[in-house]
Amino acid sequence: MAASPEPTTVLACEGICCHLPAEPRPVQVLHGISFSVSRRTSLGIVGESGAGKSMLIKTIMGLNPTARITGTVRLDGTDVASLAEKKRNAVIGRKVGIVFQNPMTSLNPFVRVGRQIEEHARYHLGLSRREAKERAIELLRVVGIADPEECYSFYPHHFSGGMKQRIMIATALACEPDLLIADEATTALDVTVQKEILDLLQVIQEERQMAMILVTHNLGIVAGRTDEVLVLYGGHVVEHGPTDRVFATPRHRYTAALLSAMPQLDQPAHTRLATIPGQPPNLANAPKGCPFAPRCPVATADCHETMPVMTVSADGRHRFACHFPVAAGAEAAP
Amino acid sequence: MSQNKMPAAGPLKADPVLEVRGLSVTFTRSGKEFRAVDNVFFSVEAGETLGLVGESGSGKTTIGRALLRLLTSAGTSIDGQVLYRGRDLSALSRAEMRKLRGRLQMIFQDPVSSFNPRRKVEDIVAEGLDIQGFPKAERAERIEAALAAVGFNRALVAGRRPHQFSGGQCQRIAIARALAVEPDLIVCDEPVASLDVSVQAHIINLLQDIRADRKLGLIFISHDLAVVKNVSDKVAVLYMGKIVEVGTGAQIYDRPAHPYTRTLLEAVPVVDASRKLVPERERSLKPSRMRPPSGCAFRTRCPRASDKCAEREPLLSPAPGGQLVACHHPHDEPAPGLKAAAA
Amino acid sequence: MTGARSRKPAGKPVADPQSLSEAVAAARPRLSRLRLPGGTPVEAVCAAFLLLLVLLALFVDFIPGLASPNFPYGDFSQPPDLTLNGILGTDAIGRSILSRVLYGARTSISIVFFATLISLGFGLLFGMVAGFYRGSVERAVDLYANTMASLPPILVILALVASTGSSVFTITVALGILDIGTYARVAKGGVISQSNRDYILAARAMGASDARLLLKEILPNLVPALTAIVPTLMAGLIITEGSLSFLGYGIPAPAPSWGGMIASSTDLLSRYPLLIFGPVLAIVITVYALNTVGDYFARRLSSRERQG
Repeated sequence: MAASPEPTTVLACEGICCHLPAEPRPVQVLHGISFSVSRRTSLGIVGESGAGKSMLIKTIMGLNPTARITGTVRLDGTDVASLAEKKRNAVIGRKVGIVFQNPMTSLNPFVRVGRQIEEHARYHLGLSRREAKERAIELLRVVGIADPEECYSFYPHHFSGGMKQRIMIATALACEPDLLIADEATTALDVTVQKEILDLLQVIQEERQMAMILVTHNLGIVAGRTDEVLVLYGGHVVEHGPTDRVFATPRHRYTAALLSAMPQLDQPAHTRLATIPGQPPNLANAPKGCPFAPRCPVATADCHETMPVMTVSADGRHRFACHFPVAAGAEAAP
Repeated sequence: MSQNKMPAAGPLKADPVLEVRGLSVTFTRSGKEFRAVDNVFFSVEAGETLGLVGESGSGKTTIGRALLRLLTSAGTSIDGQVLYRGRDLSALSRAEMRKLRGRLQMIFQDPVSSFNPRRKVEDIVAEGLDIQGFPKAERAERIEAALAAVGFNRALVAGRRPHQFSGGQCQRIAIARALAVEPDLIVCDEPVASLDVSVQAHIINLLQDIRADRKLGLIFISHDLAVVKNVSDKVAVLYMGKIVEVGTGAQIYDRPAHPYTRTLLEAVPVVDASRKLVPERERSLKPSRMRPPSGCAFRTRCPRASDKCAEREPLLSPAPGGQLVACHHPHDEPAPGLKAAAA
Repeated sequence: MTGARSRKPAGKPVADPQSLSEAVAAARPRLSRLRLPGGTPVEAVCAAFLLLLVLLALFVDFIPGLASPNFPYGDFSQPPDLTLNGILGTDAIGRSILSRVLYGARTSISIVFFATLISLGFGLLFGMVAGFYRGSVERAVDLYANTMASLPPILVILALVASTGSSVFTITVALGILDIGTYARVAKGGVISQSNRDYILAARAMGASDARLLLKEILPNLVPALTAIVPTLMAGLIITEGSLSFLGYGIPAPAPSWGGMIASSTDLLSRYPLLIFGPVLAIVITVYALNTVGDYFARRLSSRERQG
């Protein structure tokens, strides 16, 4: 995938900052987030609770009406933030497909699933009823549902959680988007079903040559499945790079600590896990300096005071914001 | 159903804290019956952790609750024996059982919902002591000790309510509540599933320390095979209410014999970006719980299924690796990929 | 009720003075502040009114200069004037309407209070037992609640009062019986939803007896739901009690009651229309206030539930 010729940028975010209204003063939940995703590539966005993942997705999708947002979001070259709301929704709805965590609440329980898949296509692409139906049935087949003609007229409660998530994917694909976002799309599912859905997403992304963003709290989900990974902490990008490099040689102290805190299948039983002291950050009272400083084993006074600038690797593909990065050769993950 | 002979799965070592013999749980809902737990045998010794793994609907949570006799709603019937140090819990009177409750404790997935929303932290920790009727002086002493065991002190929590603490801290409070009555066995029902990874490690280490220090038996219920591997001495894999494979952690993870165990292991998201995952296009269908298939319940998803699997239900029998497996065509090779990844 | 349960602000320093734009920006979190005692000004006024009404009813004997409600104090059917006793006018036999409204408040409030005590007590008992043990108890409670709900309340009361004779006691009991079903249903629903929560399971695992589970674990968690419906049902009782008096089956004559006063002033409505205002206003304002306070509690309840 990485070797594909002249990848075109689908989504480019530049310096996104987001303030939410709050008392006594607005809270900044995103701090200058920049990244881009190209056609035929996939990006994993990883972060714990309070990292700002869902705020970031909401901001990209324009689903954050009360927030004050600065920075640019370019979708296929169009600056969507500058568009009027109606136009923006039309562009985003047409070019971005999104799958949320909970299929139970994302599907309308009283509407046949086929109709729900059609809805987007008819609205954004102006397809006729018959064309839309054909497309819905085709999409049900694409997401691996047996007997798509029959399932077209079923209601959501006829399906299990994993099947509902497949239907959600079909809905997201209805407008042939350039970008597919899976926002914790497999978190509520069993591991075996999770694997099936992740496999499906990967197959579809490759077949349709889309860009894909996998948002998750679980590092294991993006490992081996995405081209790049973006690690968020406390509303900051702390590390960003090719997935295999970030996992093999994490440079930011947080990424390294997170990797070694996870129990591994190849460790013997009762292996003592490395712990990260303290609690995930509270966005309301973010520290002045590095967001990870309060929990970092090597933090100095400087870390608490000043936010580290992004260091970019020699080839420009791996960047991280840490005053005292892990040595490049050090093995952090077991 | 209870005539299933149990080959050599009985206590090898003496004195298990808890022994389960032929436990079955049947729910009747609007006239339809379904068996959530089907003829399950296992035992837990002092200082030992038994991991129960399975997907949702495998009956792992129901087993945990049935052990502590917490399934009281109408339409639930429980068969089989649960022996605590040799005493059958179902033969105990209510008063005797109430006394024994102090010995058997439970920790839940969502600590906050396991606290009465109108109580303060201290009273939550003291809940078991109040119910068991401890004298005041001992109550104070035990609260102090239990809080200390999870890294809190009484001054820190004084007057505070659970919502003032984070998820990980609340889970520590829940552990303290269980420890305050000084149990011999704790059933941990997905204790880290709702926690952030950076906090999860702390709770796992804490449970391990407590188990070792106090010679506790732990039953660790989880869907996360990596976590279960880390904490468990013995592992039982559940599929649709039945144990399909049970053995030591090493046996199960190094040489999984049941195809289902392998399916689970292959699905675990591993933090190893060096291997590119090749997506599979096939899809497996999970059968309905109300109408389990004939013979082996896993055969509809099993790549090795044969006619025999539809005709006869496989019983637990020794597998080449030493564990017990309920499969007509068990695997006998090391777990795929794991050795390579470790190298 | 205001300030009775003020919550500590969790150790955070109080906000420094903020600019107008920030105050506007803070609109969303402001909603959550409504949960704190206080609510909107209207709700505060309603609560204050009810408090005042209760105080007046309790201490009406000690109001200096207030005429007896049962004896004429001036000319009959006088329009309102600016004296204490005459502020709402006098009735057909010259008694002070204000005095009768205030003494009527005492009768109404005590009847409503004790009737609520009866219905709340039995309703909670039946409802909690039904919700906890389910089965035949639940079916019996459901049958009772549904039957009561399907009958017009005034007919039920009329039948009860007519067969026992109307006295303050029988009316109180009859009104009390009326709402048992509703309270039972709310309590039952609350118990069922609470019983499925992990904290009940945790208490069971600790060895809690059924009585402890019901009284110490579940009951305190029903209080918010009950505070939301009690004022509304009380308002209903005031109207029912008023209608009963109006129909002539209420508090036996000379004792003052709001419904009875409306009934007697309707005879003279065409000639002295102003004289009906006192009792009507008393009922309308009280019922309005009760419903408003009920809404306030209901909103607090739902915002608490949304928080989880």
